[in-house]
Amino acid sequence: MSKTIEIVVTPTGQTHVQTKGFVGSDCRQASRFIEQALGRQTGEELTAEFHQQASQQQSYQQRH
Amino acid sequence: MSHIVEIKTEVRDPVAIRAACQRLKVPGPVFGEFRLFSTSAIGWAVRLPQWRFPVVCDVNTAKIAYDNYEGRWGDTKHLDGFLQGYAVEKAKLEARKKGHTVTEQSLADGSIKLTVSVGGVA
Repeated sequence: MSKTIEIVVTPTGQTHVQTKGFVGSDCRQASRFIEQALGRQTGEELTAEFHQQASQQQSYQQRH
Repeated sequence: MSHIVEIKTEVRDPVAIRAACQRLKVPGPVFGEFRLFSTSAIGWAVRLPQWRFPVVCDVNTAKIAYDNYEGRWGDTKHLDGFLQGYAVEKAKLEARKKGHTVTEQSLADGSIKLTVSVGGVA
Protein backbone atom coordinates (compact mmCIF):
# COMPACT_ATOMS: atom_id res chain seq x y z
CA MET A 1 0.00 0.00 0.00
CA SER A 2 1.44 3.40 -0.97
CA LYS A 3 1.97 6.05 1.70
CA THR A 4 -0.15 9.16 1.28
CA ILE A 5 -1.28 12.15 3.28
CA GLU A 6 -4.77 13.37 2.38
CA ILE A 7 -5.64 16.97 3.19
CA VAL A 8 -9.21 18.21 2.85
CA VAL A 9 -9.75 21.97 3.17
CA THR A 10 -13.40 22.95 3.68
CA PRO A 11 -14.95 26.05 2.05
CA THR A 12 -14.41 27.89 5.37
CA GLY A 13 -10.72 27.01 5.59
CA GLN A 14 -10.94 24.22 8.17
CA THR A 15 -8.46 21.45 7.42
CA HIS A 16 -8.55 17.70 7.98
CA VAL A 17 -5.33 15.74 7.56
CA GLN A 18 -5.47 11.96 7.19
CA THR A 19 -2.59 9.53 6.70
CA LYS A 20 -2.86 6.28 4.76
CA GLY A 21 -0.49 3.36 4.37
CA PHE A 22 1.74 4.05 7.35
CA VAL A 23 2.60 1.56 10.07
CA GLY A 24 1.46 2.43 13.58
CA SER A 25 2.73 5.70 14.99
CA ASP A 26 4.82 6.48 11.87
CA CYS A 27 1.75 8.26 10.52
CA ARG A 28 2.00 10.94 13.20
CA GLN A 29 5.58 11.79 12.30
CA ALA A 30 4.82 11.72 8.57
CA SER A 31 2.09 14.36 8.65
CA ARG A 32 3.38 16.54 11.51
CA PHE A 33 5.20 18.98 9.19
CA ILE A 34 1.97 19.83 7.37
CA GLU A 35 -0.13 19.96 10.54
CA GLN A 36 2.28 22.40 12.21
CA ALA A 37 2.56 24.56 9.09
CA LEU A 38 -1.21 24.91 8.66
CA GLY A 39 -2.17 26.01 12.15
CA ARG A 40 -3.54 24.80 15.46
CA GLN A 41 -4.71 21.23 16.00
CA THR A 42 -8.26 21.13 17.34
CA GLY A 43 -8.81 17.37 17.32
CA GLU A 44 -7.30 13.97 16.60
CA GLU A 45 -8.83 10.60 15.94
CA LEU A 46 -6.79 7.39 15.95
CA THR A 47 -8.37 4.82 13.66
CA ALA A 48 -8.80 1.12 14.36
CA GLU A 49 -6.02 0.46 11.89
CA PHE A 50 -3.64 2.58 13.96
CA HIS A 51 -4.19 0.37 17.02
CA GLN A 52 -4.16 -2.81 14.95
CA GLN A 53 -0.89 -1.94 13.27
CA ALA A 54 0.65 -0.81 16.53
CA SER A 55 -0.17 -4.11 18.25
CA GLN A 56 1.10 -6.11 15.25
CA GLN A 57 4.35 -4.16 15.38
CA GLN A 58 4.67 -4.82 19.12
CA SER A 59 4.13 -8.59 18.79
CA TYR A 60 6.61 -8.74 15.90
CA GLN A 61 9.23 -6.96 18.02
CA GLN A 62 8.61 -9.36 20.93
CA ARG A 63 9.19 -12.38 18.66
CA HIS A 64 12.42 -11.02 17.11
CA MET B 1 -5.51 4.84 7.30
CA SER B 2 -3.98 5.53 10.68
CA HIS B 3 -5.05 8.85 12.11
CA ILE B 4 -7.11 11.94 11.31
CA VAL B 5 -6.23 15.41 12.58
CA GLU B 6 -8.45 18.49 12.48
CA ILE B 7 -6.71 21.86 12.19
CA LYS B 8 -7.85 25.47 12.51
CA THR B 9 -5.98 27.35 9.81
CA GLU B 10 -3.60 30.09 10.96
CA VAL B 11 -2.31 32.60 8.40
CA ARG B 12 1.44 32.93 9.09
CA ASP B 13 3.22 32.76 5.71
CA PRO B 14 3.40 35.74 3.31
CA VAL B 15 4.45 33.45 0.43
CA ALA B 16 1.30 31.36 0.85
CA ILE B 17 -0.79 34.55 1.20
CA ARG B 18 0.56 35.70 -2.19
CA ALA B 19 -0.18 32.29 -3.73
CA ALA B 20 -3.73 32.41 -2.34
CA CYS B 21 -4.22 35.88 -3.90
CA GLN B 22 -3.04 34.56 -7.29
CA ARG B 23 -5.38 31.62 -6.90
CA LEU B 24 -8.33 33.94 -6.17
CA LYS B 25 -7.26 36.39 -8.91
CA VAL B 26 -7.09 39.34 -6.50
CA PRO B 27 -4.20 41.83 -6.15
CA GLY B 28 -1.15 40.55 -4.28
CA PRO B 29 -0.70 41.33 -0.59
CA VAL B 30 0.87 44.63 0.49
CA PHE B 31 2.62 45.11 3.84
CA GLY B 32 1.91 48.21 5.90
CA GLU B 33 -0.56 49.93 8.20
CA PHE B 34 -4.13 50.10 6.96
CA ARG B 35 -7.28 51.87 8.09
CA LEU B 36 -10.30 49.70 8.84
CA PHE B 37 -13.09 52.29 9.28
CA SER B 38 -12.62 53.28 12.96
CA THR B 39 -9.42 51.32 13.67
CA SER B 40 -6.17 50.46 11.92
CA ALA B 41 -4.05 47.32 11.61
CA ILE B 42 -0.49 46.46 10.61
CA GLY B 43 0.28 43.44 8.46
CA TRP B 44 -0.19 41.98 5.00
CA ALA B 45 -3.29 43.51 3.42
CA VAL B 46 -5.42 41.56 0.97
CA ARG B 47 -8.08 43.26 -1.15
CA LEU B 48 -11.05 40.92 -1.50
CA PRO B 49 -13.67 41.44 -4.24
CA GLN B 50 -16.19 44.21 -3.40
CA TRP B 51 -14.77 44.67 0.12
CA ARG B 52 -14.66 48.27 1.28
CA PHE B 53 -11.61 47.75 3.50
CA PRO B 54 -8.74 45.26 3.22
CA VAL B 55 -8.29 42.12 5.28
CA VAL B 56 -5.03 42.56 7.24
CA CYS B 57 -3.04 39.47 8.24
CA ASP B 58 -0.54 39.71 11.09
CA VAL B 59 1.70 36.73 10.37
CA ASN B 60 3.39 36.97 13.79
CA THR B 61 0.19 36.50 15.79
CA ALA B 62 -1.92 34.81 13.06
CA LYS B 63 -4.64 37.39 13.77
CA ILE B 64 -6.74 38.63 10.87
CA ALA B 65 -8.14 42.15 11.19
CA TYR B 66 -11.08 43.28 9.08
CA ASP B 67 -14.30 45.30 9.25
CA ASN B 68 -17.00 44.22 6.84
CA TYR B 69 -19.86 45.69 8.92
CA GLU B 70 -21.55 42.30 9.37
CA GLY B 71 -21.51 41.66 5.64
CA ARG B 72 -22.63 45.10 4.43
CA TRP B 73 -19.10 46.12 3.42
CA GLY B 74 -17.94 42.74 2.15
CA ASP B 75 -19.28 39.21 1.77
CA THR B 76 -17.79 36.83 4.34
CA LYS B 77 -17.74 34.05 1.73
CA HIS B 78 -14.77 35.83 0.10
CA LEU B 79 -12.87 35.74 3.40
CA ASP B 80 -13.68 32.03 3.76
CA GLY B 81 -12.46 31.51 0.20
CA PHE B 82 -9.22 33.29 1.00
CA LEU B 83 -8.66 31.08 4.08
CA GLN B 84 -9.36 27.96 2.01
CA GLY B 85 -6.98 29.14 -0.72
CA TYR B 86 -4.31 29.95 1.85
CA ALA B 87 -4.54 26.49 3.47
CA VAL B 88 -4.38 24.73 0.10
CA GLU B 89 -1.39 26.74 -1.11
CA LYS B 90 0.45 26.45 2.23
CA ALA B 91 0.00 22.66 2.27
CA LYS B 92 1.26 22.43 -1.32
CA LEU B 93 4.29 24.60 -0.54
CA GLU B 94 5.25 22.51 2.49
CA ALA B 95 4.76 19.18 0.71
CA ARG B 96 6.88 20.28 -2.25
CA LYS B 97 9.63 21.52 0.08
CA LYS B 98 9.89 17.91 1.30
CA GLY B 99 10.06 16.64 -2.27
CA HIS B 100 6.60 15.08 -2.25
CA THR B 101 4.22 15.20 -5.21
CA VAL B 102 0.77 16.74 -4.70
CA THR B 103 -2.46 16.31 -6.65
CA GLU B 104 -5.48 18.56 -6.18
CA GLN B 105 -9.15 17.70 -6.56
CA SER B 106 -12.32 19.76 -6.07
CA LEU B 107 -15.08 18.02 -4.10
CA ALA B 108 -18.84 18.39 -4.58
CA ASP B 109 -19.34 20.23 -1.26
CA GLY B 110 -16.84 22.95 -2.20
CA SER B 111 -13.95 21.40 -0.29
CA ILE B 112 -10.56 20.92 -1.91
CA LYS B 113 -8.71 17.64 -1.47
CA LEU B 114 -4.94 17.37 -1.74
CA THR B 115 -3.24 13.99 -1.97
CA VAL B 116 0.44 14.04 -1.00
CA SER B 117 2.39 11.00 -2.21
CA VAL B 118 5.09 10.36 0.37
CA GLY B 119 6.66 7.45 -1.51
CA GLY B 120 7.56 3.96 -0.38
CA VAL B 121 5.21 1.28 0.85
CA ALA B 122 4.17 0.26 4.34
